[in-house]
Amino acid sequence: MAKVYDAIVVGSGMTGGWAAKELTEHGLDTLVLEAGRPITPAVDYVEHVPVWEKRFRGLRDRNAQLANQPIQRECYACDEWSSKFFVDDHENPYTTEPDAPFLWLRGRQVGGRSIMWGRQVYRWSDLDFEANLRDGIAVDWPIRYADLAPWYDHVEEFVGISGEPLGLPQLPDGKFLPPMELNCVERVVREALAKRFGRERVLTIGRVAILTQNHLGRAACHYCGNCERGCVTLSYFNSINSTLPAAQRTGKLTLRPYSVARSLMYDKKRTRVTGVRVVDAQTKHDIEFHGRIIFLCASTLESARLLLLSATPELPNGLANSSGQVGRNLMDHVMGGGARGRIDGNLDKTDTGRRPNGIYVPRFRNLRDGPKSPFLRGYGYQGGGDREHWGRGVDQAGFGADFKRAMRDPGPWHFSLYGFGECLPNHDNYAELDKTKTDAYGIPVLKINCRFGENERAILTDASIAAAEMLAAAGAHDINPFVENNPPGKTIHEMGTARMGRDPKTSVLNGWNQAWDIPNLFITDGACMASSACQNPSITYMALTARAADHAVELLKRREL
Amino acid sequence: MDRRDALRLFSATAALPAVPDLLVLGRRLHERLTARPALRTLDPHQNATVTAVADRILPATDTPGATAARVNEFIDLLLTEWTPQEARARFLAGLADLDARARAAFGKAFVDGGEADQVRLLIVLEDEALRLKEQPGPHPEPFFRTIKYLTMYGYYTSEIGAKQELHFEIIPGRYVPCTPLSAASGPPGGD
Repeated sequence: MAKVYDAIVVGSGMTGGWAAKELTEHGLDTLVLEAGRPITPAVDYVEHVPVWEKRFRGLRDRNAQLANQPIQRECYACDEWSSKFFVDDHENPYTTEPDAPFLWLRGRQVGGRSIMWGRQVYRWSDLDFEANLRDGIAVDWPIRYADLAPWYDHVEEFVGISGEPLGLPQLPDGKFLPPMELNCVERVVREALAKRFGRERVLTIGRVAILTQNHLGRAACHYCGNCERGCVTLSYFNSINSTLPAAQRTGKLTLRPYSVARSLMYDKKRTRVTGVRVVDAQTKHDIEFHGRIIFLCASTLESARLLLLSATPELPNGLANSSGQVGRNLMDHVMGGGARGRIDGNLDKTDTGRRPNGIYVPRFRNLRDGPKSPFLRGYGYQGGGDREHWGRGVDQAGFGADFKRAMRDPGPWHFSLYGFGECLPNHDNYAELDKTKTDAYGIPVLKINCRFGENERAILTDASIAAAEMLAAAGAHDINPFVENNPPGKTIHEMGTARMGRDPKTSVLNGWNQAWDIPNLFITDGACMASSACQNPSITYMALTARAADHAVELLKRREL
Repeated sequence: MDRRDALRLFSATAALPAVPDLLVLGRRLHERLTARPALRTLDPHQNATVTAVADRILPATDTPGATAARVNEFIDLLLTEWTPQEARARFLAGLADLDARARAAFGKAFVDGGEADQVRLLIVLEDEALRLKEQPGPHPEPFFRTIKYLTMYGYYTSEIGAKQELHFEIIPGRYVPCTPLSAASGPPGGD
């Protein structure tokens, strides 16, 4: 008789790693299925390979990317070092309407996208959890900050977050390691903003999942500046550096790479999932794995795809989809409204080391008690101060010995504010199966239908104007406001395709990330999100995963699954 | 090199437009004999021209310059494996144009000019490139800007440029804001 695992986790990235850690630490015999290859840090991490050892010196293998990664190449991190952590677009296709591009930027390997993630960590507050209810949009979150706060604590203590406590109600403080330092110009701007805007607009150092001191056997950051390429000292959080080893230590983890989930197996009499059918990516053979509970941590779009692929004659719309909401309400943060300007002075100062982090300005629009803007929700800024390098010389007059000497020193300081805004949930933004096309494993692909709307555009415009205003307050010169026109997906914060809610008729998951229709099925990646807020979402996914795992174990103990 | 290669080289040289200066002919031959076999797009004369321009842009000073950093090889690699066909053709046409203008200005190919001749001509090209930037509308990148960019990129991302010129450290080990400029390591290579 086939082995039955206590739990199967689909995906080994940000949330799959957490599900594996929590479930195994609770004693569950857990199988983690990962579609991609294994990662060996000693071989695959390349953060210390210098630019002169790369064939194209950081300009990327242009022709290879055009041929194999025409979509993935749109990501800043898909560079000559890290492009191997992004998928081959021909093996992993999806479709869109021609006039509605969506960038699906993906990593398929053990660790998933947690290897290349941006590492910014910001808690949500009740301003976010109450937003849908307050605005009468989509469905109300079934949880509030108080439900998640202890789980934020739980995951943050393990992850190791450096940051500065601010005491702001819209951006709760976390369990912080010492913050990284602001540079000269960031201090100038911080003081100027404090003078002009008081506590309304606050500049702080980014809260980031990078260690500023040794933490749980992982070393403090050595400031090489290339986290997206891996980290041999394990100084930033990803599932390979942290959660998967913890799960391994329990002796309860079975990690199976090259396992492409094709569908979930379902027992209609018991309304339970019983296992996962996978295609072995190396042999192309189908294999079935059985488990008592299943956690989908395959990513927002892959988890929705798997539910849709698991349709049966009785459930033609897919599993866990009696609400019709699977694949719906796809969101991604809108980004790229901001401004940049030159800050004179401090020419005798620079930084030593490459800080892999910038500044953050927490949301200041549409706060609970403040004035209301002509758009819903809000945005925060990332950015920071930097000095021009030799690249400035390309468009300056001059060449020769004096020019070369001048390029040795950095140029003027600049300061950038780059907005990340909330995206409203919208029923008409959705992913569905495209049965006319299959991927390299013969599995039908997704067709993604997603457009930003008026509210997202209004947010970017306001973010640009407010950024210019703030730079002016800081005495910047040559202020250049901008509004980028990025397609959805590019922020790589996609979420919402199997939302949590209070009513099985209008949501896929209950307040414990548990499928209303299938009690032993949990979805804890970005698919579960009922709204997007404007904060980088990973830490919220992690907290939700740990909370759901704890609950699932309770239910198993009570024999309710 | 065997005898057959040498013959082919001579016949190729002989096929070039007649250049009455035997010294120049000898120099061409030398270019061909010493060119690194890695070059795949630039012919020996084009390579010598690229090398000369790059060295005028970033010469050896108290640190090595573009030639020592083998910027020409990097440019050849990009032209061969990276640059779109149209831009490659534009670059090679730019090299030919540089020679045509050198002949008009000082009666020789660019590489055969003296330093002052070469610098004077490059200043003319640079002025044109900077003026073009002021003008509205899209226009193809002027040759001078292209070769200046490629030279600078190739130099500052080379081991020589990154380490000796910019004092780049792979593992700084710490982050200290507001350090005096002289004490700091340089900016990262790449963009």
